[in-house]
Amino acid sequence: MAASSPGYRKRLASLLAPPMLWLGVAYLGALAALFLTSFWTVNAFGTGEIEQVWNLDNYRALFTISVYRTITLRTLAIAIGVTVIDALLALPIALYMAKVASPRARKWLVIGVLMPLWASYLVKAYAWRGLLSDAGPVAWLLRPLGLDTPGYGLTATVITLAYLWLPYMILPMYAGLERLPDSLLDASADLGARPWLTLRRVVVPVLWPAAVAGSIFTFSLTLGDYIAVKIVGGANQMLGNVVYDNSGVAGNLPFAAAVAAIPVVIMVVYLALVRRTGALENL
Amino acid sequence: MTNPSIRIRGLTKHFGQVRAVDGVDLDIADGEFFAMLGPSGSGKTTVLRMIAGFEQPTSGSIELAGTDVTGRPAYDRDVNTVFQDYALFPHMSVQDNVEYGLRVKKVAKAERHERAKDALASVHLEQYSERRPSQLSGGQRQRVALARALVNRPKVLLLDEPLGALDLKLRRAMQIELKELQREVGITFVFVTHDQEEALTLADRIAIFNDGKIEQVATPAELYEQPINPFVAGFVGTSNLLENESAKTLLGREGSFSIRPEKIHLDPADTTGLQTASGVIREVIYLGATNHYVVDLTTNATLTVARQNLHGASDQNLRHRADTVTLGWLPEHVIELTTKEN
Amino acid sequence: MKSIKIASAAVAFALALTACGGSGSGDKGSGGFTAPDVPMAKSLGEGEGSVSILAWPGYAEDGSTDKAYDWVTPFEKTTGCEANVKYFGTSDEAVQLMKTGQYDVVSASGDASLRLIAGGDVAPVNTALTPNYADVWPFLKDRPWNSVNKQMYGIPHGYGANLLMYRTDIVNPAPDSWSAVFDDASKYAGKVTSYDSPIYIADAALYLMKTKPELGIKDPYALDEKQLKASVDLLKAQRQNVGEYWSDYLKQIQSFTTGDSVIGTSWQVIVNTAQGEKVKVDAVLPKEGATGWSDTWMISSKAAHPNCAYKWMDYIISPKANDAVAEYFGEAPSNAKACDIATEGFCDSYHAGDEAYAKQIHYWTTPIKQCLDGRTNVQCTDYARWTQAWTEIKG
Repeated sequence: MAASSPGYRKRLASLLAPPMLWLGVAYLGALAALFLTSFWTVNAFGTGEIEQVWNLDNYRALFTISVYRTITLRTLAIAIGVTVIDALLALPIALYMAKVASPRARKWLVIGVLMPLWASYLVKAYAWRGLLSDAGPVAWLLRPLGLDTPGYGLTATVITLAYLWLPYMILPMYAGLERLPDSLLDASADLGARPWLTLRRVVVPVLWPAAVAGSIFTFSLTLGDYIAVKIVGGANQMLGNVVYDNSGVAGNLPFAAAVAAIPVVIMVVYLALVRRTGALENL
Repeated sequence: MTNPSIRIRGLTKHFGQVRAVDGVDLDIADGEFFAMLGPSGSGKTTVLRMIAGFEQPTSGSIELAGTDVTGRPAYDRDVNTVFQDYALFPHMSVQDNVEYGLRVKKVAKAERHERAKDALASVHLEQYSERRPSQLSGGQRQRVALARALVNRPKVLLLDEPLGALDLKLRRAMQIELKELQREVGITFVFVTHDQEEALTLADRIAIFNDGKIEQVATPAELYEQPINPFVAGFVGTSNLLENESAKTLLGREGSFSIRPEKIHLDPADTTGLQTASGVIREVIYLGATNHYVVDLTTNATLTVARQNLHGASDQNLRHRADTVTLGWLPEHVIELTTKEN
Repeated sequence: MKSIKIASAAVAFALALTACGGSGSGDKGSGGFTAPDVPMAKSLGEGEGSVSILAWPGYAEDGSTDKAYDWVTPFEKTTGCEANVKYFGTSDEAVQLMKTGQYDVVSASGDASLRLIAGGDVAPVNTALTPNYADVWPFLKDRPWNSVNKQMYGIPHGYGANLLMYRTDIVNPAPDSWSAVFDDASKYAGKVTSYDSPIYIADAALYLMKTKPELGIKDPYALDEKQLKASVDLLKAQRQNVGEYWSDYLKQIQSFTTGDSVIGTSWQVIVNTAQGEKVKVDAVLPKEGATGWSDTWMISSKAAHPNCAYKWMDYIISPKANDAVAEYFGEAPSNAKACDIATEGFCDSYHAGDEAYAKQIHYWTTPIKQCLDGRTNVQCTDYARWTQAWTEIKG
């Protein structure tokens, strides 16, 4: 058979070698390098030169200095908040797009959802900075109602990140709903379920793997973010800022690597939990 | 019909500019096995979906067992549906699928379990209750869909092309099962199909749909023997349609007429009481159980004649192309049709 | 996103490894750090046609911000070196960017210069090749932040103070003390802004130096653990009232424009730009004095365009250009002759050439373990410790 001939295998190998090399060296290798670096230290003068002395000081600092725990928990809370908000926003939007809108409107809605992805991250974050500013439209709209703009801070950070990552939640949900036959919704109603019950018993469970896929995006993107919080987060910082400050500002790459290991560990735990629900098999 | 299970009056449904259903009146009796037959796009499925409550009519009314349910949502109607694609919930086991309707109606767990078990047993699937729908064959899914609908003991069961996705052999077997099941449970079955043979096999009565309207409602035999117009005559079985000039020259009558192919004798030994015509065989079509002869008459019309293949398929038993033959039929087998113009 | 970050970390990691290998052969300098052996230019050749400049905002204006301010175009015309300018927001950013080797020259403040020298990222400067160096105020030459063992590592550019900026229509009365952002910060809770860098700890230390003499702070860049803790506590208290920390000067202008910030540290160039946009702001040099900068143009040890780089370093301290930058940015020029052509009274108001005044400004310097104020009985906190403290302050 052609499929098992030596020529075919050679061609297959040459075809797959570059991407596998990329995966092995650039991707996993970088991760390994990062992890190794976190066990080294830098010289005293802050020039960022790494001294390859094996030690656990970076991790000791992470666990003993309470501020890092505070920042980790804050980052985690923001990531959970963003994910939950995105899931709650994306469900009705995706439901409308996939099941209610006419095919023509659907096309435009997909473009509408994708459009913000074409704009630069910074433009969008600065747009929210303008919106939420003391003299911005949000304050102008809410003040007559006795409310006020949340100002720059954690709320603004969650809003901005939820906005930034929303398409990453809508698109998998929309794809999941597209695959969900209308007849399932009819069948549920036919068997006596009101729309809410249909949503809870049929739509959400069928959509669960898609929502999990979306949450992996929103959750991990938020965990690693450090720019939005700089722009709209006021005086707050997230794990990404600690990584940035230590690698960029202080030139302490080993400590930055140790901090960067936190979101990696959180994601591994998250994926393990997701795996247990069985959602990954249905992706 | 004094107390119909379903009474439909002036039912109309527009999708934008398209009149999918255009003024349908229909009564379906309690316990009847009723078929809605028609080509695709004729409005039969839309009528079924309006009975179920998935679509709301543009105008007209639907009564179920004497109660007007027009405008009521699907979850508030005492009917259940078997879908063309079965619409089994992929994330639930077979058991949970069947229990779904009972769970929604808050039936106690023990009873729910018992009834689901019985329903699965009635479709011979009791040993598959823990499987996921994706682990079942097409015929098995079909039966789960039936059990899921019947477990609720509805007054009416609606079936949307229930056997359309099955292969021919399985379809035949399921047809028999469906018929038996309907006799057992004794409730009204309304099913939609575009397969005339299936409709003739299963239904007590059939409504023929065309272009959003009902052309004729009758028993299978009536439909076949007494089609009221050319559409019905052509859609149910094959027929020789004689209109205008050819009707006049052949039958000596004005109007449209139909003669079924099997009602025409080929070279009859005795022509007493028969109307006759002669012609030349243009084509011989071998169909296994029967042969069809396409005969060009000297009077310029063409008739198809069906003969049972009593003597096997050997050449000598078949009449040949270009043979000259005489055709004969009883006048009572000439069915007068009403045309739209009339 | 994450994979990008990891990949870039790996690249940085690889760079760091090569940097490690290259810096092993240096001598131990007197400043408590290693000054690597980097060769110095002996002579100048033809210009390479372009030069890549890393500068503080406002140091290399080409007329795009304001047509009236353009000293890059004349440089390009006379030397034929096309100038590619990138602005940075903090010294830390400058150090990081210089490590990439993509920039030929950098305007380094005192808290960056020593790190650049120690890291081998900049080369000694042959002052004989920059004629205008002769006119630089003598008290700016051979300073700890721009030289090692009497070898200049750059050309002094100018010096100035970090100011206290405020919205004139909101902050009343006008402040004259740093207490407005420390002890009295709650008056403008949520609208106070501070500079987002560990070096800002020195501002708190300076304030404590004047208000809490019992701490014995003599140099805000030489803090022992106790003194650092006092500064950190002051900043943690300030944190409750801080709306945001700034490092991007455009963001700073924007938040004063919208009123999201009304008072905080700033630079004269920000004040000028904001006032140019009709924002009601003003700035003072508070009575406690101020931290500040004394900047030095340095040349990269990996400069791809060394000749144009030398031409730039000489040009930018020529009287006309030096005066233009100084007046635009709001700092004292380094070239004595710049004052001859400066706007009437400008050099006086910035005390240019006044050695005694210049000593009152506490120039940014990288804190190291050896106390910079000469104490030997105690160890001081280094910049890594400050960075950690800064993270804790922000919380």
